[in-house]
Amino acid sequence: MLRLIGRRLLLMVPTLILASMLIFALAEVLPGDVGRSILGPYATQQQVDILNHTLGADKPIYERYAVWAKNFVTGNWGHSPVNQLPIASTVMRALANSLLLAGFALVIIVPLSILIGVFAGLRRDSFLDRTITISTLSMTVIPEFVSGVILIWLFAVQLKWLPVSATPPDGANFFERLYYLILPAIPLMFLELGYIARMARVGTVQVLSMPYIRTAVLKGLPRRRVIFGHVLRNAMVPTVTVIGSQVGWLIGGLVVIEFLFVYPGIGQLMLLSAQQKDVPTLEASVLMVAVIYMAANLIADIVVALLNPRIRMGG
Amino acid sequence: MASDEFKQEYGQHLVDQVLKGQMTRRQLLVRATVFGFSMTAAGSLLAACGGTSATSTSSPAASGAPKPVMGGTLTGVIPPSITDMDPVTIYDQGGIVLIQQVCEYLIALDDKNALKASLAESWSGSADASTWTFKLRQGVKFNDGSPMEAADVVASMERVVDPKSGSGALAALQGILSPGGTKAVDTYTVEFSLDKPFADFPYLVCQSSYNTVILPRTYNGNFVKKPVGTGPFMLKSYNAKQQAVMVKNPTYWGKDAAGNQLPYLDQVTWKMVQDESAANLQLQSGAVDFQPQTVFQGSQALFADANLRVDIYPGTGIREVAFNLQKDPWKSAPKELRQAVAYCLDRKAINQALYAGRSNLGYDTFWEPTVFPGSPTPPERAQDYAKAKQLLTTAGFASGTTIELTVAKYLENPQLAQLIQQQCKPAGIKVNINQISYDAFYAGTATTTPWLNAPMVIVEWGSRPTPGVFAQAMLMPGVPWNSSHWDNKDFASTFNSYMGTTDIPKRTEYATKLSQIQQDDTPILVPFYITQLRTQKKTVFGIQGPGNFYCIMSEAFKTA
Repeated sequence: MLRLIGRRLLLMVPTLILASMLIFALAEVLPGDVGRSILGPYATQQQVDILNHTLGADKPIYERYAVWAKNFVTGNWGHSPVNQLPIASTVMRALANSLLLAGFALVIIVPLSILIGVFAGLRRDSFLDRTITISTLSMTVIPEFVSGVILIWLFAVQLKWLPVSATPPDGANFFERLYYLILPAIPLMFLELGYIARMARVGTVQVLSMPYIRTAVLKGLPRRRVIFGHVLRNAMVPTVTVIGSQVGWLIGGLVVIEFLFVYPGIGQLMLLSAQQKDVPTLEASVLMVAVIYMAANLIADIVVALLNPRIRMGG
Repeated sequence: MASDEFKQEYGQHLVDQVLKGQMTRRQLLVRATVFGFSMTAAGSLLAACGGTSATSTSSPAASGAPKPVMGGTLTGVIPPSITDMDPVTIYDQGGIVLIQQVCEYLIALDDKNALKASLAESWSGSADASTWTFKLRQGVKFNDGSPMEAADVVASMERVVDPKSGSGALAALQGILSPGGTKAVDTYTVEFSLDKPFADFPYLVCQSSYNTVILPRTYNGNFVKKPVGTGPFMLKSYNAKQQAVMVKNPTYWGKDAAGNQLPYLDQVTWKMVQDESAANLQLQSGAVDFQPQTVFQGSQALFADANLRVDIYPGTGIREVAFNLQKDPWKSAPKELRQAVAYCLDRKAINQALYAGRSNLGYDTFWEPTVFPGSPTPPERAQDYAKAKQLLTTAGFASGTTIELTVAKYLENPQLAQLIQQQCKPAGIKVNINQISYDAFYAGTATTTPWLNAPMVIVEWGSRPTPGVFAQAMLMPGVPWNSSHWDNKDFASTFNSYMGTTDIPKRTEYATKLSQIQQDDTPILVPFYITQLRTQKKTVFGIQGPGNFYCIMSEAFKTA
């Protein structure tokens, strides 16, 4: 197990280096330049050239990458050339916001989807199974910008039950912050519920057909013990893997939700940084999301290994 | 130098023009304010013309507005500021709205695009409009307690005309005001010596030239940390891209007509929302009280909301459809090809499709009387396919032609491109649309950027206070934003004569000629002038400014 963790942690280093190079290269082919982004379309070209020179944006890409990489590794993330904000605190604040939203959504989504997935799997091909499958799949296909707008219109504009924005007022405590996250978490639930529930259902159905389950039933174990002691533990393997892969998206990919619910998360920060050619902020944001993504997958692998002894024994 | 005697003569001259029917009352009001007449003095001139004096500068909402309520907080919704909120370089809507609450200009624009005194108590131009003298309001203090004096104005103007400052104001002032052109005559008098006569100069030191705010002479950047200005509000907290909180400036110089200290409000909170739909939902839910500028797309629900009031202002923003005369087919084709495209357009249908019929139609000239009162009325250009085909034949394209239209995926520009494409097709003009991102559209250098170099483009322009400011920015030879690369010597010399005189009949004569040249040669299409929308709760009153993101909150208040 330790070897598995060590190997995965080591693999993160070349992955992050490659990702940082890719982002630099991709930002290079994006149209526009940082000087124009700062001064706007009405500044003269001479003014833009002067600023680009001052910022060092007119230097070759490898020189800029080397300078950035050295500063990044030594913890000197600097300030955004576009808005002069300190990059480290900007990125960490946005990341913390995204983690809170993703965490809140996962706390709702994971138990609920596993519950209904396993429930459907245990009643395979029944009316209930079909109803759960069809309804969760239907929710999954609704884009979040559609469900989000409808939810805001219904619960914030018409009924006024929930706040229209996910950003709480200054000084809000933890529970007030969660209250503001209820509405944006619902479209995420729509998207993820069907996917994870389906994995849980498939896992349950597969495990139920295994000989050791038949043996457990035939030797007279109570149904509850069969389900909780044998079915759930093994059915969760593919589900945990899927959840691990979804965490990265829930943290870095919620651009639409963050824009719609006015939530300052890392997805929004990455998009705006890319649009404004704010490469240092973009690099830091993407690398932090990559770290979270890899960490989530590592944790998922560890959980899977714990659930399935054959994996941790290398079998 | 303009003297009181000159002003008296000029005032009488304006009155004569109105009485002779050569000028409208509204035009008198606007021209009088340009030459430094106070609103009261301009009102007296109107009274001299007979009838009632119409000098009210209140917003549409203010007519029948209740008695102002002192105190309270308003929450507005604006787009997030893109850059670091430096008044010298700011160019985005959100940032401009914020800056204009803390800082002020020499002159302010009212709801009708007329000028009114702000930090300058009065101003006057020489007879040839090449030298302008501004008398500053005495007793005005920056919110750090330092007095606002001529040295601050000189430093502010010298800063924006310095290429190293990166100020967007330079592009508008280039060729008009150079470094060294602003001088302090005494502690409260500033003189501008222009590079050439420019009768609309006062419009270049008001909020339509938004980087010309007056900052302390010691300003050295970092506005967020040290937000010093003379405006009605002070920046209390600023959370970039999320929220700004402003509190009233207790030492603000402004007073209302009844002598009450301004501003009325104790606090204004600005929420920054990037997505337009999200901003509209914030308004509908009641989470925010107002939005300085509302875009047409998606605003139908706001019009229908019983709790909201959408004020409509006669804006002057345009979508310039420019033919690049350095690129084929326009380079080698005569003007009839451009005219043919112009006659393909059903401007009413475009206005209906893009703005629910609420904008004003344009006929490819900046001198449009519906938005710039007193301008000569240009011939209308209704859709006429027979004429378009005839013009195509004259241009040598009897069997039709194919043109490429480059457009940014921004605002309603793609929809306008599609409408042009559809409406040109029956005449035999096939329009291929090259739709690119906003960033790609403005990327590159002056010789490579698509918005200045593609064969045909749609460029969005915000409101400008006069036709002259528009023409100076995009139609004069060699100016940096001339997407059409039009170089018409007759137009240029007539324009310089127009800007070099204060004589109204001469200006009208020149304006008529300029309008005719522009429309006939058709370097660009101006199919409409976009009406501006401002949305607020029905309990909100007194937000001033010409209906866009230039909004002045000093007399804003909220009833219970």
